[in-house]
Amino acid sequence: MEFYRDRKFIFMAFLFLLFLAGIVFVPAQSGMLLIVALFVFGSLCLLWKERHLKLGGLGFLVILAIINIGVNGMHFGIDFSGGTRIPVVLEQSVDTNTMNELVQAIKKRVSVLGLTEVKVRSIGNSQVNVEIPSGDEERISFIEDVLSHQGVYMAIVDGKVALTGEHIFSTSIRPTPAGQLSPDAAWGVSFAVDREGAEQFAAAAKDKTDYPVYMFLDRPMNADLFYTGDQLLDSMLNDSSKRESLNSLRDALELDNEDYPNATINVYVLDDLDLTNLSIGPRTNKTLAIISENAPEEYKTALANAGYVLEEMPEAEMAPEFTRTITGVLVANKIEGIGLLSSPRLSAGVTTGTPSYNYAISGGVSTSDPTEARKEAIEKQKSIESILKGGSLPVQISLGSRTTLPASLGEEFLHLSLIGIIAALVIISLFIGIRYMNIKATLPIVLISMAELVILLSILGSFTIDLAAMAGIIAAIGVGVDAQIVITDEILKRDKYLLQEKIEHAFSIIKTNVTVATLSMLPLLFSGLVEVIGFAISTILGSMLGYLLSRPAYAAIVEKIIGKEGGEEHGTS
Amino acid sequence: MELPNIFRGNYKLLAIPPLLLVLVALYFIPQIEMGVDFRGGTLISLTLDHAIDSNELQTQLESEGLGVEVRVFETAVGYKAEIESPQSEKLLRAEELKDEFESLLPEASNLEILAEMNSSYEAEYQEKRNEINAVANEMFELAGANTRAELIESITDLERTFSESYKKVYSDYQTAITGPIDKYVDYTSISVQTVSPMLSTHFIETAVNVAMWSAILSAVFVFLFFRVIVPSIAVILGAACDIIIALGAMGLFGIPLTLPAFAALLMLVGYSLDTDILLTMRMLKRRGDPRDKAHDAMKTGLTMSLTGIIAFATLFVLASVTHIPTYYEISAVALSGLVGDMFATWGLNAVMLLWYVERKGEQ
Repeated sequence: MEFYRDRKFIFMAFLFLLFLAGIVFVPAQSGMLLIVALFVFGSLCLLWKERHLKLGGLGFLVILAIINIGVNGMHFGIDFSGGTRIPVVLEQSVDTNTMNELVQAIKKRVSVLGLTEVKVRSIGNSQVNVEIPSGDEERISFIEDVLSHQGVYMAIVDGKVALTGEHIFSTSIRPTPAGQLSPDAAWGVSFAVDREGAEQFAAAAKDKTDYPVYMFLDRPMNADLFYTGDQLLDSMLNDSSKRESLNSLRDALELDNEDYPNATINVYVLDDLDLTNLSIGPRTNKTLAIISENAPEEYKTALANAGYVLEEMPEAEMAPEFTRTITGVLVANKIEGIGLLSSPRLSAGVTTGTPSYNYAISGGVSTSDPTEARKEAIEKQKSIESILKGGSLPVQISLGSRTTLPASLGEEFLHLSLIGIIAALVIISLFIGIRYMNIKATLPIVLISMAELVILLSILGSFTIDLAAMAGIIAAIGVGVDAQIVITDEILKRDKYLLQEKIEHAFSIIKTNVTVATLSMLPLLFSGLVEVIGFAISTILGSMLGYLLSRPAYAAIVEKIIGKEGGEEHGTS
Repeated sequence: MELPNIFRGNYKLLAIPPLLLVLVALYFIPQIEMGVDFRGGTLISLTLDHAIDSNELQTQLESEGLGVEVRVFETAVGYKAEIESPQSEKLLRAEELKDEFESLLPEASNLEILAEMNSSYEAEYQEKRNEINAVANEMFELAGANTRAELIESITDLERTFSESYKKVYSDYQTAITGPIDKYVDYTSISVQTVSPMLSTHFIETAVNVAMWSAILSAVFVFLFFRVIVPSIAVILGAACDIIIALGAMGLFGIPLTLPAFAALLMLVGYSLDTDILLTMRMLKRRGDPRDKAHDAMKTGLTMSLTGIIAFATLFVLASVTHIPTYYEISAVALSGLVGDMFATWGLNAVMLLWYVERKGEQ
């Protein structure tokens, strides 16, 4: 049969190419893609009865798995690669959104310090794992510090520090009750400050009605900001010139007085710089040059040569947000990359020079739709609350016990574990061989077990293989052959049933078994018990794999080779 | 290879070995040791380049006032020592204080602001402040901090100092153990796993939930699937006995109940239901002599169990070579359970089913 002309087969091949492209071009999602591929090919194999399609499904998946390992490699937990794991335990369980926020926040904190090799992953709804491929004590305690560190809040009015986080009573930060909001405000946040803070603010804000209060979190104190001409143009308001925009940026980033000497962040447009004769330079050998990661290389090299420490950022993070006030002044409202998060204006009441202990930040919304407006108001209010609280994470966290493993030991463990996998495969193959004394029945079992193993390793390797996952993989070798054993026994049995009936009998047993095995492990998968989730994933995937792909494929083979044999025997006995 | 049909003759006697096993298991279950995950405390693993005497180290550490348990292994990659220390009273108290402090904090801080603006709140603030000071002072004492809450002016500062002290109690607890170890042992690497009381409570709560859901989901599925009372009960009973036998083995062989052991137990639920279901489906949905069908099912079931046993035995060997606790706990529990499953399924479950099928046949 010329199966390659078959439309169904062509469709499968087309899907295969689609998944292949996904795996090669979106490496970050390769594990998920393989799981989707498993279900897609699996469903097709259940749906279509043709033998070559069932085998094709398994074949395609195995090729995808091998390519994935080849192209994207496999990721191992620190138990196998060496390093340190710091579990971050949340004091309450959170929903998916909060968890994502939290993981992003932790990632951001750690990556700000150039520690990109640190892995942050959420597991379940109450724990986040931070893994560092290093056992260096100094580095680990540094990261522990960063994790437990609160952001430094700083409010700047007209180039002077008006308030810092240490003077705010953190527990006093709360939403302003609706009754106390001014009529034109949609949301508000009230907070109280101590005596020193009140005096500092009164002095800085005196006679500055309508000036913006630039609110920063972790403002870099020794850095310059570099935009490409296009980048600046993209973020400018339609009615403003480049010059006006640059001026408003300079206003926002000015800070130079005796408490904070030379802390102004200078803004430059790269296109205006003469690269051959750079007239600017860093203040110290630690001055950061904050620059878009998409900026032309020659600028990066020139700045690095001038003595700057380059800090490359995604364009979206550097992009300034401008607004025009009612009085027509252009204000830089937000530049996330350097911690400028919001710029409310000073109201007349707080600019008299008399210290006050209570403040409120309030604002309107941009939409008139009541539901949308309510949503926006809550979002804005939450974001201000979080800035004032030092950008603290959405939930209280505590650092769990850390585990450190030397890289050499990890390698040894990995090596031994791989030997274990092979040993299990060999012994089980021998056992099956002895049990059936029938090479035609044994060989397919062994081959399909190997195919299963490759797929399982590839999927789990796209995420992270830790000790529990490895134990699960070895277990899956034992469990994976169960389906084939049920089919083989059923077919070899000498009774009155037809081959097709026998296979259906076997399938219904396997289906029930897989359902039970999955159901009993499912609660563990969603438990958030980090240490053993890998085990749950590999056992569940292992049985799914058996059900969806290897089972139909094996039946297809065995039907052909030993099915006839069994039938003949039945006929003669 | 021909397996004799054990269901010929008086098959009811087959129920005796599994029932005996369950009885023995029930006796050993109370002796199960809780691992560090569920009990809380600290487990320190050291890799060593030479052998050390565990008794000697234990005596040395005890002389430093540490109530620890020391185990030393030889592995394929050198020597390894495990030192386990129970939960410290200090740490327990510190966590209680932390809860107390956090419950007092909002009101105290609110009163502080009010008092700052209006002196008539001063008295009320002082009262609350004294209350929170007492909690803070006890924490400072635990941490050995050289300060008193009365000397700290603002609540915000108090909160900061309090939180520092809590962290110090925590790290003191760890150094109290690692310090003497540094003194007596020359190790190549160290891993310190501290499970705080809060964390172990969390583990226990989650594990109980998971076990409950797993049991409910599997049991409901079995009932919905078979829709006949006696076989369903037989299947669930078979699985329950298997878990009991595995738990008994944990007590007998001193396999600690940790998260990996727990995961293995859950897997056993699925695994033992598998063989039970295989048997029940063959018995109920197929024509032929019940005893022959049971015997046929047993051949398939034993083959399945044996492949599982081979896989976990490999893992067990790997565990004894590497002394990776995760491998050991999973494989030891799974092996006991798989062996137990053979008895529970072919002794107990099969006997109940045969009795049910033959009685129904007579009617």
